[in-house]
Amino acid sequence: MNIFVLIKQVPDQGAKAGINPDGTIDRAKAKRMLNPFDRYALEAALHARRLYGGTVTAISMGPPPAIEILYEAIAHGVDQAILLSDRRLAASDTLATAYALYCTVRYAGAFDLVFCGLQTTDGDTAQVGPQLAERLQVPQITYCEKFEIDHNEIVARRVIEGGAQTVRCPLPAVVTVANSAPRLAYKTLRGARRVQQLQRDEAERSRVIRTVNLDDIGADPLRCGLKGSPTIVAATEKVGEIGGNCTLYQGKPLQQLVDDVLAAQVIAPELVKR
Amino acid sequence: MSTKQVLVFVEQADGCARPVAFELLGAGRILADKLGAELAAFVACAAAGDLSETLIAHGADRVYVAEHPELAAYRTLPYRRVLIDLIAAMETPPHIVLFGSTTTGRDLAPRIAAYFETGLTADCTELDIGPYEHTNSQDPSKVGLYPDCLYAIRPSFGESLKARILGPWKNPQMATVRPGVMVPLAPDAARTGTVHSVAVRLEETDLQLVVAETLRSMGEQVELQGAEVIVSGGYGLGNPEGFSLMYQLAACFENSAVGSSRKAVDAGWIAHAHQVGQTGKTVRPKLYIACGISGAIQHRVGMDKSATIVAINKDLNAPIFKFAHHGIVGDLYQVIPELIRQLKLQKTPTPDTSNVATHSL
Repeated sequence: MNIFVLIKQVPDQGAKAGINPDGTIDRAKAKRMLNPFDRYALEAALHARRLYGGTVTAISMGPPPAIEILYEAIAHGVDQAILLSDRRLAASDTLATAYALYCTVRYAGAFDLVFCGLQTTDGDTAQVGPQLAERLQVPQITYCEKFEIDHNEIVARRVIEGGAQTVRCPLPAVVTVANSAPRLAYKTLRGARRVQQLQRDEAERSRVIRTVNLDDIGADPLRCGLKGSPTIVAATEKVGEIGGNCTLYQGKPLQQLVDDVLAAQVIAPELVKR
Repeated sequence: MSTKQVLVFVEQADGCARPVAFELLGAGRILADKLGAELAAFVACAAAGDLSETLIAHGADRVYVAEHPELAAYRTLPYRRVLIDLIAAMETPPHIVLFGSTTTGRDLAPRIAAYFETGLTADCTELDIGPYEHTNSQDPSKVGLYPDCLYAIRPSFGESLKARILGPWKNPQMATVRPGVMVPLAPDAARTGTVHSVAVRLEETDLQLVVAETLRSMGEQVELQGAEVIVSGGYGLGNPEGFSLMYQLAACFENSAVGSSRKAVDAGWIAHAHQVGQTGKTVRPKLYIACGISGAIQHRVGMDKSATIVAINKDLNAPIFKFAHHGIVGDLYQVIPELIRQLKLQKTPTPDTSNVATHSL
């Protein structure tokens, strides 16, 4: 099985450092982390290899420091990795991102499965997985929480509103993994040693983690970055502090307090069960 | 046919439109009127029955119906095929196409946008039409004044910002819209519209994914979005047992449900299906009672369109008191039992209709 997993480095929104006073992210200062949703995709990829054999290749697009999350993926047991890094990718929206990732997947070779996180915590769109599937012209299974493979066919359970659905389709396919799927296990000792070795041995590192640019993968720069993005963020507005208009009920004996609330018809009488 | 169009993708199950479809028609109607455009609905199904009339009553001027046994249940590829064929066959593409931010809309919309190489904004909470002047000279081909842009507005950066996303260079301009946010029109049977049958041409490869089984209402069904009153509990409940008090208070109301904040869900006190907010549901009940909820922005965006917000919290400095309409400052474990007691006392065999008439929501 040739398994790809797409992962992204995102700003750590839990960390205070790197958040500008207006609430935007100072990407230079922000602590970075592996997109939490991608942890489920990594687990799914490793699970598929455990059961059905093959290799897992982690693919990421981002600036050079994104290599950190590829090391992390290797520590978890991923076999090899590709980092697509190119300044011309700056300001890519989901369409441009999906195109660049499509070119990277094509460069990486034939595949049976591409796993993606459901969405990222910085963009929150959940669009790149299906857009990649469209470019690759393969079926997709979104919101997948469980799967097995049988005779070159994937059988998967996907989450839908108020329930779940079992679907099956032939490989190759793109699968986006829901966060109700199994959690990523601990890093392995073998994986951690591998990372140490890669950090020491540059030749081995460049063999296991290939860093590529748009020219390497044969991508059209006009379809990437700002130029290749049909959407732009035209304006941002801080979500305003509404306020000052709250009528407060306080500082009275309990019974009277509640009495006041009901007398003021805070609770519309017709809503109350008779 | 060169009339400007706003096209809405209608989600249906067993020939019945899902609530988000009516919300999209409500939002689409406003956009279409501002644009002087026609509001069209697209529905794919096995047999439409009287669904077209329902969609027209809810605001559609035109309904495109694709009927085929293979379209009975939603599947990415057959639905993708008929929608792409419909749009590609139009003399001019729709100005705007809207989908719900549901598991279906978020599955289908990106593929359609990628096919047409057009912009798609995810999970919008506001939509509008407006002008935009692009002056950035990095890409001279994009510079210019665009009078009729879709303003696709969505929360970003953990919902602390609202971002306005535009893509005026190419039609259709596409967006998925968060369920529960837009207001459906009251149905009007006198409204008129036209129904157009869409040719369905499916290929072998469109049918390779098979739905083996669909289970709805697994476990507990939480009808947050249809409830008139929502009693929500947060981390301030202190323990999972606090939710039994939430259920007791909710039981005092005619059409109610129990909600929660994310922290209470994360603590494992209640199922995710109850969660209101950024990663949960967006609601707009007539009355929202927030108990022990501090009012973080992630929660606020899910409920701040409620007609009346009542907060019960010990902490006078809790952010929720900044946007609630009424705040009861006190220990919820004392306030709520007293509230329940007095609500029950209020019960009278003949409701006071003068109150009903004067209370505006």
